[in-house]
Formats: sequence, C-alpha cells, structure tokens
Amino acid sequence: MSSGEQHDTHPLRGIFARKDVLAGLLFIGVALLGLYVSRNYPIGTALRMGTGYVPRLLCWTLFGLGLVVLVQGLREVPIEPLRAVGALAAWRSLLFVTASLVIFGLTIERLGLVVSIFLLIGIGALAARELRALETLAAALVLIALSWGIFILGLGLTIPVWPEW
Amino acid sequence: MELIDHLVTGFGIALTPANLFFALAGALIGTLIGVLPGIGPIATIAMLLPLTFHLEPTSGLIMLAGIFYGAQYGGSTTAILVNLPGETSSVVTCIDGHQMARQGRAGAALAVAALGSFFAGCVSTLLIAVFAPPLAKVGQSFGAPEYFSLMVLGLIAAVVLAHGSVVKAIAMIVLGLLIGLVGTDGNTGGTRFTFGITELTDGIDVATLAIGVFGIGEIITNLTQPPETRSLVAQKITRLWPTREDFHRAWPAVLRGTALGSMLGVLPGGGATLSAFAAYALEKKSAKDASQFGRGAVEGVAGPESANNAGAQTSFIPMLTLGIPGNAVMALMIGALTIHGIQPGPQIMSERPGMFWGMIASMWIGNLMLVIINLPLIGMWVQLLKVPYRFLYLAILLFCGIGVYTVSNSPAAVVLAAFFGIAGFVFTRLECEPAPMILGFVLGPLMEENLRRAMRISSGDPMIFAQRPISLGLLISAATLCVLVALPAIRSRREEAFQEN
Repeated sequence: MSSGEQHDTHPLRGIFARKDVLAGLLFIGVALLGLYVSRNYPIGTALRMGTGYVPRLLCWTLFGLGLVVLVQGLREVPIEPLRAVGALAAWRSLLFVTASLVIFGLTIERLGLVVSIFLLIGIGALAARELRALETLAAALVLIALSWGIFILGLGLTIPVWPEW
Repeated sequence: MELIDHLVTGFGIALTPANLFFALAGALIGTLIGVLPGIGPIATIAMLLPLTFHLEPTSGLIMLAGIFYGAQYGGSTTAILVNLPGETSSVVTCIDGHQMARQGRAGAALAVAALGSFFAGCVSTLLIAVFAPPLAKVGQSFGAPEYFSLMVLGLIAAVVLAHGSVVKAIAMIVLGLLIGLVGTDGNTGGTRFTFGITELTDGIDVATLAIGVFGIGEIITNLTQPPETRSLVAQKITRLWPTREDFHRAWPAVLRGTALGSMLGVLPGGGATLSAFAAYALEKKSAKDASQFGRGAVEGVAGPESANNAGAQTSFIPMLTLGIPGNAVMALMIGALTIHGIQPGPQIMSERPGMFWGMIASMWIGNLMLVIINLPLIGMWVQLLKVPYRFLYLAILLFCGIGVYTVSNSPAAVVLAAFFGIAGFVFTRLECEPAPMILGFVLGPLMEENLRRAMRISSGDPMIFAQRPISLGLLISAATLCVLVALPAIRSRREEAFQEN
C-alpha cells in the first residue's frame, strides 16, 4: 500500500491527513476569526446583552469543541488516512464549479439570462473529467429554453433575458 | 366530531384544481430527485423556496411537502434496481431490495416499497391530524423560558440522533448558530460579522446557505469522486404484484416500520433517514431467521421503506404545532413560511386553519398520487437513470444559481452560495454532517430572542429556567440525553444503529 508507506515515512503529513485533526483546526480557526472580528462588539451584561455577548459565548464554545475534536484526532489510531482524490481533478472541479457560479451571479443583471447561462454551463462543464464541446452546447441550449419557459414565461420573474446596454 | 369537520375543510382546500396541481408537481419533482442520486430533498426544496414566493402560501407548502415525501418513494426505486441509494433514507433498502431484484423479484420489491410507503403515509397523515391540535394547545401556554429550553432539548436530541461524532455535530450546530448571527442585531441595532460587506447587513438567507452547502457542495463532492459504475438490473420488470408469501411476510414489517418511523419522525433530529436505519435494525433483530437478511428478505424492504415515509411525514408535527424544526427540511419549511410573512408557531392552526388542514389533507392525496406515479410508471423513472451525471450536474448547478439569485435578487447571494459550496465540500470530506448546522442556523435567532426575553422576565436571573416546571423538565431531559450518549454502552449501541450491515 503506497499510501500507507507514505503515511509512515511522513509523520507530519500523516497527522494532517486525519479528518478529525483538520476538522478540529477548522473549528478553532473559525472561532479565532470570530473572536477577532467581534473584539470591539459591546458585551453588555446578562440582563442587557450587548451585540457581542452571544457571539463571544459561541466562539469560545466552538473553540473548546474544536480543541476536543483536535485532541481526539491526534489520539486516534489512524485507520484510513484522508484519501487524496487525484489532487488535480479535485481542484479542477472545485475551481470551475465555484467560478461558474460566481460569474453567473456577477453577469446575470448586466448580460441577461441567456448569456449568463451560456457562461455558467461553459465554465461549469470544465469541472467534469471529460469535456465534450458539442454535448455541452446542446445542454446549454436545452437549459436556456427550459429556464426561459419556467422562470420568465411561467413564473414571470423580472430577470433581464438579453444584455442591457 | 371536530376532527372530521377539520378534515372536510382540509379536503375542500386540497381538492381545488390549483392545489391538486401543486400536490402533483411536488410528488413528481420529489420522485424525480428521489430516483436521481446526487441530489436530495434539502437542496431541491432550497432551490424551489424562492419560487413559492410567487404562489399562495398553502400551495407552496403543499408542493414543498410533496417533494419531501415524494423523495422517499423515488429513493427506493434506485436502491432496488441499481443498488445505489437515491436518497440517504434508502441506503438500507439497497441491501435486501437489490438482492430481490437480482433474483428476478424487482417488481415485488418495488411494489412492497410503494405500498408500504402508502400505508405509512396514510397512518402518519392521520397521526398529524389527531395529535397536532392538542400539541399546539400545549405550545400556546409556553413562554420564552419554555421555548428556550425546548430548543436546547431539540438541538441536543438532534446531535444524539445524528450520524457520526457527537462532538463534531455539536460544533456544527454552534457554527450554524454563529452563521445565523451574521447581520444586524435586532435588539441593539449593531451589525455582527458582516466583514464590512453591505449585502450582509440583512443577514444570510436560509436558502442561500442550504443551496450552497447541500446543492453546490454535493456537486463538487460528486465530481471529485471516481465515476460510479451503475449496475442497472437489465431484466424487464414483468410481475409487479408480490406473491402471497411476500404479502404475508411484509405486512407485519410494514406495521412495525410505520410505528417506529412515526415515533422517530417526531423527535428532533429524526425524520426519514434515522427511521429507515432503525427499522432495518428492528427487522433484523425481530426476525426468526436473521441469516436471510442481505439475501433478499422482503422484510428488509418493507420495514425501512414504510418507516422513512412515516418519519418524513410525522416530522411535520413539531414544525406545524410549535414552530420548531426537527430536521433540515423542516428548517427550510420554516423559511418558506417566513417568506410569506407567516410567523411559525402554535397560533398557525387557529389563525390559518385553511392552510393547516389543507396541507394535511394534501399529504394523503399526494401519497395516493405517488403510488400511481411510482408503480405503473416505473419504466419511465428507470429511463431517467440512464442520464449521465455530466448532464445532470449542469442542470443542478444552473437551478442552484437561479434559485439563489431569485431569493434576494442580489448577485452577492450567488457569490456567497458559491463560498458555502466550498464549505459544504470541505465538511463532507472531513465527515462533519452539515444538517445540524442548518438547524442551528434557523434556531439561533429564535433562541437568542427567547433567551433575551426570558432574561428580561427574570431581571437577569438564569435560575428562571429551573424555576418554571416545564422548562426544568425539558432541560433535565436534555441533560439526561447528554449523559446517556456519553455512556460507553449506549455509545456503542448508537454506532451500531447506523451500521449498514
């Protein structure tokens, strides 16, 4: 098992491949960020709670829980380290799915439904393993017709259909 | 009888052409997403939430409810024919259902699943009609301290009943509570966690969070996994009717599954998935010959499939009567109510009897439609399974995008949903269940409000929660649950309950 050997020869990497260690660090990180952002919120008293009372309480709770998860992760005997999912493919899916959505959001008001759906499908299609240009084009056309029918014709949403200049 | 009057009113509303149409639409969409692996009821309901804004509130709720219980019917089809769970609530149906299919009894398995679900649906609809009014009456006597304690109990129970690590589940709830704080504090007017972004001052919409974490997150997760091999049972489904022996063995399992599912559905954190797992465990334990399980035992299909539908429907009880969501789907239902300016809580039944009873009547009608949609039309749904995921995810991605945009008409919400999509992917990778987070998100503002009110009633004395008997009882139950789950014996039992084999 190559992953098992790697795991033994790189002790630090092994630790960071454990789900609970990473999850614990994630929770602690979010808690610290929350505490930092809310550092100037007025706390108030239990009777008249200020803006910062509940946020601080929750951040400290999350911090504590994150520590517990982290310790559990460090103590557990790693049975199966986090499998790397063909690292490149994973990043690719993550990047293109997110990008397609962000671009869709940023263009829909200016460029209208038709163009922004083309962009969403075009960029989103790059997230899959294999890219088939003709198929993607067909999918885009079908989906544009479908969304126009449902959202504009059927529900009468006020989304611009074509680019506005 | 009062109950009959109520039901007559309800059927009067549910049988109007428009509401019949939306019940059918919900049932069809529910079956569709139930059959398709890779998209579940939470993401779908979140995507369609903005659309209900353009409908009558009653019609909107009827459709959303139909999606939830329709998915329980559809999920079994994929489980039986392809050995892939269409929904998490049909994971256990794969075990014996697919074995039955491989032995040429696919038709019988599908029929048992659909008829069992229908029976469970009828019983649980009746249960809602009988138990909701008295519960709402109890709820009306609750003050702020009682509500706060009830929500604490709800969140704790949700953790205990969740999959996997308890500590992680609590952390996810706290994370949800924190995300719920983003925006303007209603009491002091101060902004919290907005990072200087204007769009965040109004807070985050539950649909944006749910579409991001469940819709987008799931797409990324699916795309990063190696492509699945689907072993569709190739044979034609000829005999739909189960044999006499199948019937004889299935009906006690249907009864047990319905009873268990109805009970577990009401619990916070319960609902369809937990009910199905528990019912499978129960069937295996109560069987005379447990060795048949995993080899096509009809009880292993009948029990869980009845239980998941019963659990899905009875989980409406706490949402409708107390305004408290027990699972993520119900949290979205609360979101649907608030979109229409309806305050969820015990007053719904007296203030909007038409909506309440209309929705209950529509559940029965929807279940009847689902038997027809699922049994004679099964061939159509099987065809759908041949649609490759590379088309499917593009459609899901698009509907997620349009759904989020229409919630708030703001491009910022779409960007935010993309961010939550990454978060959802990370959570799944790290085995942190995101469902408790949605619960925390919805309950957070309600809890803070009730905590504040309770503190004002008691002039800042936290002992108020112990002095009110109902509140004390609820808190003691919550503490007992915490202690129980920490006990090693219970702990291993809990892990066992979620084991599939």
